[in-house]
Amino acid sequence: MNWLSELQIDGLTEVFNIGAGRAAASLSEIVCDEVQLSVPRLQLYNSSEINAATLTLNSLRLGAVKQRFSGPFSADAMLLFTEERALEIVHDMMGSQVSIEDVAEFEQEAMCELGNIILNACLSSIANLLNLTLESSLPSYTIGDTDGVLRGIISDANQPLMLVLHIDLSIENRHSQGLLVFLLSTSSLQKLVSHIDRFISGI
Amino acid sequence: MFHLMQKLSFPEQQELVGKIWDSINSGLILIDSTGKVLFWNEWISMHSGIPCEFAVSRSLESLFPGGLSAAFKSAIKNASLHKLPIVLSNALHRSPLPLYPLPITPLEQDRLQQSIAISPIALSNEISLCLIQITDASLSIKRERVLQSYSKRMSLEAVTDALTGSNNRRFFDERFAVELGRAQRLQIPLSLIMLDVDYFKRYNDEYGHPAGDRVLIAIAQTLKTQLNRTTDVLARYGGEEFVIILPDSGVDGARIVAEKLRSAIIGLNIPHLASMIADHVTISIGIATCQSLVNSAAADLLEIADRALYSAKHGGRNCIRQLIVPELRPDSKFAALS
Repeated sequence: MNWLSELQIDGLTEVFNIGAGRAAASLSEIVCDEVQLSVPRLQLYNSSEINAATLTLNSLRLGAVKQRFSGPFSADAMLLFTEERALEIVHDMMGSQVSIEDVAEFEQEAMCELGNIILNACLSSIANLLNLTLESSLPSYTIGDTDGVLRGIISDANQPLMLVLHIDLSIENRHSQGLLVFLLSTSSLQKLVSHIDRFISGI
Repeated sequence: MFHLMQKLSFPEQQELVGKIWDSINSGLILIDSTGKVLFWNEWISMHSGIPCEFAVSRSLESLFPGGLSAAFKSAIKNASLHKLPIVLSNALHRSPLPLYPLPITPLEQDRLQQSIAISPIALSNEISLCLIQITDASLSIKRERVLQSYSKRMSLEAVTDALTGSNNRRFFDERFAVELGRAQRLQIPLSLIMLDVDYFKRYNDEYGHPAGDRVLIAIAQTLKTQLNRTTDVLARYGGEEFVIILPDSGVDGARIVAEKLRSAIIGLNIPHLASMIADHVTISIGIATCQSLVNSAAADLLEIADRALYSAKHGGRNCIRQLIVPELRPDSKFAALS
């Protein structure tokens, strides 16, 4: 799909990486150790093309933190991790005095917070750089079989476009890959793109 | 709601909002953009010990001097800066605010476990406020623990025989596969005992099924007390049949255990007038022993133990028969031992 030019993709990737850097700083404060977060890759899909294979999610179960952002453009934003990764991340964030079996008890809440930090950081850096104001719902966490979670994500016909960001998160030397997914309507994407163009031409 | 509001005078509206606010069973604090408290509900008053009248128009910092966690302070800052909601999970922050479980005592108390949500509220007249919601997280932690212990109990029940309290067939199947694999890997012997109660049908006919059930319970308990090693696994296989896995037990070891079991059941001395071979309850025992497993499947060993038991039944009951693998040939020779 040629919704986005290479220049626009680069611009967006840069904006998201600024947000990722900010999220990493917040996470480092919580973990009291260096946390690195980067967005190496960004792709735009039509929701109908999406499945576990295109997203390279080879796990039976997925955890998803979701927030709905609205403003000049609106988007359902989601942070996706495989269930095993989610448990490991929460474990690392809570510190190793907690056994991995006990983590399940806290997984839901802690993942909500992690997702909240990453999603807010990315969206607020977009809002800052593009000079617009966004509002958001509180985060919610769902966990389920991969196909079910993905079906739930792509079932919204009003938001046929999916901006997918591959993210690398490393906490205490453990490397995890996850996805940031933004579901957008065609008009929301157009608005986002026009803001990006203004940002690029302003540099 | 809108309709009702129109009927109420402004003071009545304020009273209604205040009462709803105070009825909510979690903490609510509303602050303005400078951090001053505008609202402070009853829940917060109770858990902080600071009454609403005192809190209003003071800053959170001055209300909780030195008591706010750094994470909470930066969360408030970020929420008002970016106008985006923020959550502070109990897992990662425990107790960001100096709030205490009820009743609050003058003695040193642990802080209340908290989960916090901070929502910026922007009014159309450009006034921006921040709503802080605090919930008591110890409730959900407790609920989670209860669920976990419940699920542990359920999984225990799923592998326990309801009548005798022994392991059930499902548990046996799982453990047997594991022990078989271990014996093959380590090249160590493995024995399997299969036993049943002699003339049990006649016992039920003579004394009734409830009495038969009591015999099964007594037998299960006795068998269990005779097994000294924690690795030995007793399970009720079905009806009046029990099965025992003896890991790392060779020909002699398994035979000694079997003999102990047979004597212990005789020692119970449960009268059985309908028995054709004794005046008390007895058991017949079949043993399959593998000195070193090569490619023996679980089903093979079970079948061999069953054949040994069948042979004990036909050899007069109240006795033990042992079959040894892999010396076993299709035209099997029995090693009669008792």
